[in-house]
Amino acid sequence: MKVLSRRRMVLVNGLLLLLLFISFVGSTLLGPVSINLSEAIRGLFSGGPHTDILFRARLPRVLLGLAVGGGLASASLVLQALLRNPLACAHILGVSGGASLGGILGLIVFPHLFLSTNQQLIGEISWVPLASFIGALCSMSLIYRLSLVHGRLHPYHLLLCGVIFNAFVSAIIMFLNSVLDFYQAQNLLFWLMGSLSTRSYLTVTFIWGYVLVGCLWLWRHGLSLNLISLGEEGAMQLGIDVDRTQKQLFVASSFVVGAIVSVSGMIGFVGLMVPHVMRLLLGNDHRLLFPASFLAGGIFLSWADTLARTLYAPAELPVGVITAFLGGPFFFFLLYRESRKNILHEPSR
Amino acid sequence: MPLEMNRKLFLARILVIVLLQAFLANHASGAEPSPSSRSAKVPQRIVSLAPSMTEALFALGAGDRIVGVTTFCDYPPQALQIPKIGSFVNPSIEAVLGRRPDLVVGVPEGTDHEKVKQMETLGLRVSVFPVSSVGAIFNSVRLLAQTVGRDEAGAKLLRRMQSEMDSVRRHLGGSRRRRVLLVVGYRPLVAAGSKTFIGELLSLAGGENIAGAAQQSWPILSAETIVARAPEVIIEAGMGSEREAQRLRWQDLSSLPAVKEGRIYSYPSDKILRPGPRIGEALEELARLIHPECFARASSKREGGCEGP
Repeated sequence: MKVLSRRRMVLVNGLLLLLLFISFVGSTLLGPVSINLSEAIRGLFSGGPHTDILFRARLPRVLLGLAVGGGLASASLVLQALLRNPLACAHILGVSGGASLGGILGLIVFPHLFLSTNQQLIGEISWVPLASFIGALCSMSLIYRLSLVHGRLHPYHLLLCGVIFNAFVSAIIMFLNSVLDFYQAQNLLFWLMGSLSTRSYLTVTFIWGYVLVGCLWLWRHGLSLNLISLGEEGAMQLGIDVDRTQKQLFVASSFVVGAIVSVSGMIGFVGLMVPHVMRLLLGNDHRLLFPASFLAGGIFLSWADTLARTLYAPAELPVGVITAFLGGPFFFFLLYRESRKNILHEPSR
Repeated sequence: MPLEMNRKLFLARILVIVLLQAFLANHASGAEPSPSSRSAKVPQRIVSLAPSMTEALFALGAGDRIVGVTTFCDYPPQALQIPKIGSFVNPSIEAVLGRRPDLVVGVPEGTDHEKVKQMETLGLRVSVFPVSSVGAIFNSVRLLAQTVGRDEAGAKLLRRMQSEMDSVRRHLGGSRRRRVLLVVGYRPLVAAGSKTFIGELLSLAGGENIAGAAQQSWPILSAETIVARAPEVIIEAGMGSEREAQRLRWQDLSSLPAVKEGRIYSYPSDKILRPGPRIGEALEELARLIHPECFARASSKREGGCEGP
């Protein structure tokens, strides 16, 4: 592993930050409707269609996309390192599935009818992410327990459990879909499809809060993660409390995934793809990979959502379709590469 | 040459399947039944696989002959008393067989084509009536009336539906079209496109569907597209119970004419937006929401319609 110099850290992240800024500006200005920036800003006080499009329709959505992309990439980076498995990501391991189930149950249990709209909004912002977080945490610990073979985490068991758990969760969601009121059921589709559409800055602020707290928590463990990803025994010999660190990281990534899924549903493949590309480009130092994956996740998702908004205008594509089109083939590529490397005996990179 | 044989066998099978399908499609398409078979056997035990069909059967005076409906069939209220054979989307073939029907009716837009074929294989007489447009809906009522031997009631019902539609047209007169958005789902926001009978009704009700340019029947729209198309009327056809919440949902988009003029309405879609005999009523409701001024003046019996503001 290369020594991480301050210069490299600043250079790489500076470049990514610049790209993030370009993506932010680009995806805010691009869309199915072309807008006049000066008119949009002039309309800030008087109101007007350009202002509404820029500041109400697009900006919150782009900001949400940055947080969601960054958070998913960071959480999946951690999962891949912890489980020493390149195919791990929140989605494939069933953590997102658990989070959406938690969120849906939270929404159903939540006494909508007794609250005014404003209270409802606050409730949805605080209670649904909490329910999603619990769902994510429960599913992660369940899958983790099930994949322990003689006290060691078995990568294929883990993937298999994740896939089965996902199928199980989809079945529960489909079940709710068929027993619930037809029109309420339509709204459940959102959780399966994923969407970044929001107009609420309150939601955006909350999610940025959750994601930042969670990611800083994860980031703190960058160095330990470097050691753990090379092998648990080695890390232990070097004085890392592996068990404690693992648990903390699992909880923190569940926290991030839970919060994200509660506002954007299940958007796949961001978590899988971004950390890998970063690893291919930057090597294996998690102190660098953390900020880099976070930024790259934001960049990737903001462009994916711009495509989703624009390609079939005036209609919109689910953003998960775009990420899956890009991510699906990539997943097969990884699987193919891994199959040639004998994943069982060699810790993956 | 086993390979060659296989291929021939395969082609032969394909041919059989194609022919069979063509035959079945012909049989199931609700093509007008030949007069001889019709007079020979008027169905007495009917199962309806669609809420709109249930409504139409009742409107034709054949309600007492229905022996099975879907869980979605809630109009007229008598339909609730009839045994259920599953949901609109997923009827149970066993339950249908259990009702021993001599006719099963459905709509191709809702009823699974495979299930129709299965039921026919089991010896049931199945008729599906396309209802994808206003014209098709009228046609479906006519054909259904013939199929159940209520031709006269059918003609009467069609006249009533036509006069309801005509009356709306008279009220609207030459008034200017208003840009309309009809929302059927949130998260993501799904609107009725122009290729649905609802889209057609919007147009007949003096509206211009802002989702009409999309190719899909039920397009997902982004907020910015909606702002750019500036709807003057927004009709919420999702959940009627949350009327106030939906009204508030739009308030932040202050540039929308619909918000400025307070023209955001909720519409209990599950009750009336059905491709059945009540489309005349549905049309009038939509027209009243889009052009209330035309109906306010209705009492003064003003001929020649109204010119909007």
